[in-house]
Amino acid sequence: MKPSKSKEKKNSQENVSENKLINEVEILRKNFDDTIDKLLKDIKRQDKIMARSDKRQRMEYDELQKKLHEVQELQLAQKELMDSFIKLIAGAIDAKSRYTGGHCARVPKLSMMLAKSASECESGIFKDFKLETEDQFRELDISSWLHDCGKVVTPEYVIDKATKLETIYNRIHEIRTRFEVIHRDKTIEALNRKLKGEDPIEVDKWLKKEHSKLLKEFEAVANANVGAEFMKEEDINKIENISQRSWIRHFDNTIGLAYEEKQRVLRDNPSTPSMEKLLSDQKRHIIQREHFDHESYKKMGFTTTVPKDLYNLGELYNLSVQKGTLTQEERFKIEEHVMMTLQMLEHLPFPENLKNVPLYAGAHHETLIGTGYPRGLKKEDMPIPSRIIAIADVFEALTASDRPYKEPKTLSEAIKILSFMVKDQHLDADIFKLFLQSGIYNTYAKEYLKEDQIDEVDIEQYLN
Amino acid sequence: MENLSIQETKYTPQIELNKDTGIISMEGKSYPENTFEFYEPVMKWLEVYFDGNAQEKTTVNLEIIYFNSSSSKLFFDLFDLLEEASEEHSIQINWIYDEENESALEAGEDFKEDFETLTINLLTK
Repeated sequence: MKPSKSKEKKNSQENVSENKLINEVEILRKNFDDTIDKLLKDIKRQDKIMARSDKRQRMEYDELQKKLHEVQELQLAQKELMDSFIKLIAGAIDAKSRYTGGHCARVPKLSMMLAKSASECESGIFKDFKLETEDQFRELDISSWLHDCGKVVTPEYVIDKATKLETIYNRIHEIRTRFEVIHRDKTIEALNRKLKGEDPIEVDKWLKKEHSKLLKEFEAVANANVGAEFMKEEDINKIENISQRSWIRHFDNTIGLAYEEKQRVLRDNPSTPSMEKLLSDQKRHIIQREHFDHESYKKMGFTTTVPKDLYNLGELYNLSVQKGTLTQEERFKIEEHVMMTLQMLEHLPFPENLKNVPLYAGAHHETLIGTGYPRGLKKEDMPIPSRIIAIADVFEALTASDRPYKEPKTLSEAIKILSFMVKDQHLDADIFKLFLQSGIYNTYAKEYLKEDQIDEVDIEQYLN
Repeated sequence: MENLSIQETKYTPQIELNKDTGIISMEGKSYPENTFEFYEPVMKWLEVYFDGNAQEKTTVNLEIIYFNSSSSKLFFDLFDLLEEASEEHSIQINWIYDEENESALEAGEDFKEDFETLTINLLTK
């Protein structure tokens, strides 16, 4: 029995361990199933995350593209707005002067023609000069459009000063009236002498002589008022002699004036009746320079001498101008336009790709040897685009009419003047040669000059 | 336990975990270099919080503008954790999105669909 009992025991023991094993297997299987389930769930979730991420990324990409497109549109709109603003300023300057209208719009045409040609040229100083990107062209184009932007603040009477006595009004008429007065004084003097019993024939003879002398003298003054002729020393002396004639002023010259002018007239202690010179330089003719910031002028690097007074309207002083119509004060006022251009442009926050605009635009009155204005730069200080704008500026001004008393030059005359300026090292010789060799002078002339201005040009003489 | 605050960076959101108010918020973009490492303290904090430190009511404000794929995976893990916790705690989740940000809305809708037992409100900013 014992063995059977022990066998039984053995059997039940086996059963227990078998059950335990089955249980363990079951648990393992369940764990395994759970893990598989979790893995499957995870894989499904991963797939879902991936799919969603892809979708999201696509949407974000679309959104990014949309935004990029919007930004590009905005940039384009801003660029167009900026270009329009530039043209608006240039247009305002061109519209301001009826003599030089179109200058600001034509200089860019010529500058761009020269720049393109220089960029294509593989030799000489142009070997390393390349305009490749749209931005580089734009930088030069904007510079040429704005080269005279400082002229918005130049008084019209200075820009367009057509005769020497012109202020806002040509004072020759006022002086002619004085001649009329003296003329009449002489007639009255003759009549008085006749009344006193002098020989009427002799008196008439004298009067005729005096009147014809006066007419001649007025002619001399009137001629001196025109800026086209050069005033020699003797011409100036002649005007000074004529100025000594006198007339009597009976009327108060301090009334009917605005405050500023009245203060000026009072400086001469006017009283009536007063013996006045036919022509004179008076204290009232001086308009003082006020609020001029010499320090910031220096800081800007401007080297041009600043005249003491803002203006001097002296009659003799103005008539004694030897060449043209401008006094040194007025000439400075004109030259100031390029300082204004620099001041304006250097204050604009140009982006990196347009940072050279002030340098390109503001150097068109510099020479290659430091004798120009306003900074007295030299060739090495001026990049090629600056020198291109300088030539374009002069050529346009010559073939249009840069001063009201000057006729526009013919093509050959203008080129001859350019060649003199090149010889004097005021303009760049290589760019001048390029201008001729490339035929740009001809292309430009055909488009912008009047037919009767276009004459034969022998370019060979300038190329050797 | 301490409140947890993580400052916003260019690639990661501002995170405020406040045990005193029961308000949990994440706001900003989620492009961490190593997502799971970055969010590890957050997940740990939440485990401790729900393990006997939770307020009666917990509000989760999520305002995630843009996020990468691994952040998406992490949010699933976060929602798993919240789903488990919601058996014992009252949890309100606000998924806040900008009306113009379509993908943020869609992500919110997806989470809502996947975690039916959670209260997820989609709110415009």
